[in-house]
Amino acid sequence: MRRCSPWPDEDYTLADVTLPSLGESVTEGIITRWMKSVGDIVERDEPLFEISTDKVDSELPSPAAGVLLKILANEGDTVGVGAVVAVIGELDGATASPAAPVADAPADAPAAAPAQSAAVTPSAPISTPTNTDKGIVVSPVVRRILDGGGVDARAVQGTGPGGSITRRDAESAVANGPTDDLPIALTPGMRRMAQHMVDSVRTSPHGFVAVEVDASVFIKLDAVGRTTSDGTPINDEALVALAAVRALAEFDFFNATVAGDDLIIHRTINLGFVRSLQPAGMLVPVVHAAGGLTLRALAHRLNDLSERVESRQLTTDDLLGGTFSLLAAPTPSTLVAMPLLIQPNVAALSVGAVRHAPVVVVRDGVEIVEPGRRLVLGLSFDHRVADPDSAAKYLERVGELLAAIDVNAER
Amino acid sequence: MASESKQFDVVVIGGGPGGYAAALYAAAAGLSVALIERDKVGGTCLHRGCIPAKEFLETAHVLRTIEHASAFGFTTSAPTVDFAVSQNRKNEVVDQLHKGLSGLLKGRKIEVLEGTGRLDSNNSVSVLDGADAGTTLLGKNVILAAGSVPRTLPGFEVDGTVVLTSDEFLALSSLPASAAVIGGGAIGCEFASMLSDMGSKVTIVEGLPSILAGCDTEVASVVQRSFKKRGIDIVTNAKVTGHTPGKNGTTLHLDGVDDVQVEMVIVSVGRRPRTEGLLGDATGVELDERGFVVADEYMRTAAPNVFAVGDVVAGTPQLAHVGFAEAIVAIKTILGEATVPVNYDRVPWAIYTNPEVAFCGLTEAAAKERGYNVVVKKDPFAGNGRARIIGDTEGVVKIIAEKNADGTAGQLLGVHMAGPWVTEQLGAGYFAVNWEATASEAAALIQPHPSLSETFGETLLALAGRGLHVG
Repeated sequence: MRRCSPWPDEDYTLADVTLPSLGESVTEGIITRWMKSVGDIVERDEPLFEISTDKVDSELPSPAAGVLLKILANEGDTVGVGAVVAVIGELDGATASPAAPVADAPADAPAAAPAQSAAVTPSAPISTPTNTDKGIVVSPVVRRILDGGGVDARAVQGTGPGGSITRRDAESAVANGPTDDLPIALTPGMRRMAQHMVDSVRTSPHGFVAVEVDASVFIKLDAVGRTTSDGTPINDEALVALAAVRALAEFDFFNATVAGDDLIIHRTINLGFVRSLQPAGMLVPVVHAAGGLTLRALAHRLNDLSERVESRQLTTDDLLGGTFSLLAAPTPSTLVAMPLLIQPNVAALSVGAVRHAPVVVVRDGVEIVEPGRRLVLGLSFDHRVADPDSAAKYLERVGELLAAIDVNAER
Repeated sequence: MASESKQFDVVVIGGGPGGYAAALYAAAAGLSVALIERDKVGGTCLHRGCIPAKEFLETAHVLRTIEHASAFGFTTSAPTVDFAVSQNRKNEVVDQLHKGLSGLLKGRKIEVLEGTGRLDSNNSVSVLDGADAGTTLLGKNVILAAGSVPRTLPGFEVDGTVVLTSDEFLALSSLPASAAVIGGGAIGCEFASMLSDMGSKVTIVEGLPSILAGCDTEVASVVQRSFKKRGIDIVTNAKVTGHTPGKNGTTLHLDGVDDVQVEMVIVSVGRRPRTEGLLGDATGVELDERGFVVADEYMRTAAPNVFAVGDVVAGTPQLAHVGFAEAIVAIKTILGEATVPVNYDRVPWAIYTNPEVAFCGLTEAAAKERGYNVVVKKDPFAGNGRARIIGDTEGVVKIIAEKNADGTAGQLLGVHMAGPWVTEQLGAGYFAVNWEATASEAAALIQPHPSLSETFGETLLALAGRGLHVG
């Protein structure tokens, strides 16, 4: 029997892949990437596609093992929660590789030949990215000319059919130099960041204060080991976060929101942690109800959050409700960075890198210099409701509480 | 009749090369597809065009081979032909391809409906007649690929015996002793060439100053010389005024020229779009004054989600392979994939006359008309070793390049060939022109020896400044 379909009818059952709930208040998302093509074998829970909502990018796993039969939503498409985005066929047995069609049409059939060769390959995936930048087919000649001139094809305005780059276009681009700027579309993550930061600067007049504090607690932490008693890693961020939360009990007006003529002080401390995205952009997942957490509990929660950021398992709920945020040192030698406020928060703590530094101590009434650890803390604050005086005092209090953490007992 | 509208991603009206290519390509991308065909899938190309015509021309080629056998030392008696057998073989070739194509469509789960499709408003498509008459389909996208039919001439009623178009000619089971071919384009010249090789007395009547008017003049004149040498009468600048059927054929009347007495008149004066009845009310699809569907470079018509491909499209060459390419552009556009539209200036052309003609890109005249300063080189097949071996040395390769400021040959603008198997040789020229190679870039690449394609390579070398054999 002639069989052109790579997947024999009788051997598979179908499973629809739907867009699952992505958290409260999220009704749709943009499919940003398909990790699998039509015809690929997928395992259950293997990452299948990436979705971007107005809050977060997530990687979604396959609900079933089998063969990806159909992709029903292309990259860039906006789909609603519950919509079917793909169909997975369950293979019965190990016949994973598509059966090659048995040709009964003569091989020299001009009509049949191109189509037959297409049938050998499993159906072309709808989401296949095109083979060139900007989706334009560049001839070998054009590519060589552009390469020789060091010109990026994306920067050349094509005058050929469909905007394709002709030899003449390439030669003139090389002769005139790459005059065009290189336009790169913002990723959904960058767009979210751009929107939020513009809004933030427009809403809040930002003030910033930095103070240097004692960081000798990290010497103690290194001495007892950088893990909790049950083995969860404790990073610098966790220790400072603990002190920051404790200091907020005394400086509750930094855990607040401006609402018209009122400053609403939040009873609950929901601590947002800034996480960078590549190539640019950021997420601020939140540890909710951080107020009463012990060092161990906070380390657990932070660790869990970091793992889910890594595996793109965050839900929108993880990103909502922050009342105060913390920006860790982006690099080991960052003195301190100035964070922009995550709206509608009125303060954001910035933690510099813990540095080995000579410190002056008094021994037997004599000032001497010893090796020690120092750390710069910064606070961005909403200058409508706070001032440098209160900001500096808060930071110093964080420093005191940091130094006072009994790591041995609390870990 | 109960008419439920079944919905498809793509509904294709017409199962010729444009239509079936669209259906196959769409199905390969996972789209659901319905294809409506009023006759047989494969369309004009497979049943009344390219394939049968080339099969007949191959019949003539076999005869030529037998006739030349004595030069190789074979003694043969004078061949006779039972053209009914030839016709039968042609039908077998067509049938096999038809079966293969039908199976391919079925294998891709394409729903093929029999009947004439009509596009109504809102992307609804009705099947008007045939086995599936009364069915209504809804296409998220509709592709119009209704094709074309031979044009006829007033005063020349097609009767299938004395006056024929390509449709009837290709169904003949015996050949006439004499024939007039009205229209010296590609189709007319192919019929004339085949008839003449098969022993018919042929007259070509052409209204323009030369046959094969779209071809480079040098290439056209190779065919013209060959035709004249073989006894084909060519009347150019002719105006046909009518004909008077007699008891043995008809007398063709030409303005200002002697009448021509022939057994058969074959009218090959072009093809018109088959758009009558294709569109219902308020579809939004635009037709031009000649009835062709107006489409943009991505094959989109004036109506949203309605595309057109193939012969039915206004202003595009009526070639099966252009239909294939347009179908791919249309489907990729539907899929939202980036695609490069067909560059109609640079599609490959192939004419299967004896000698064959193949070309791509601008003719010398067209290049000059567009303001190019050109460098032109030619190399005849007479100097080609392989051409000598096969005993077929008639023909030439001519390449036109843009002239650089220093007088050297730059980018290749057109490659034109007449001669043995040039339809199979054009590929290299096609790539060179479409990849916008210069003469020296293309000349640096090697052609196998001994092969007919060395003539192309030699012409490139000459164009690049120094040839081995030609200057």
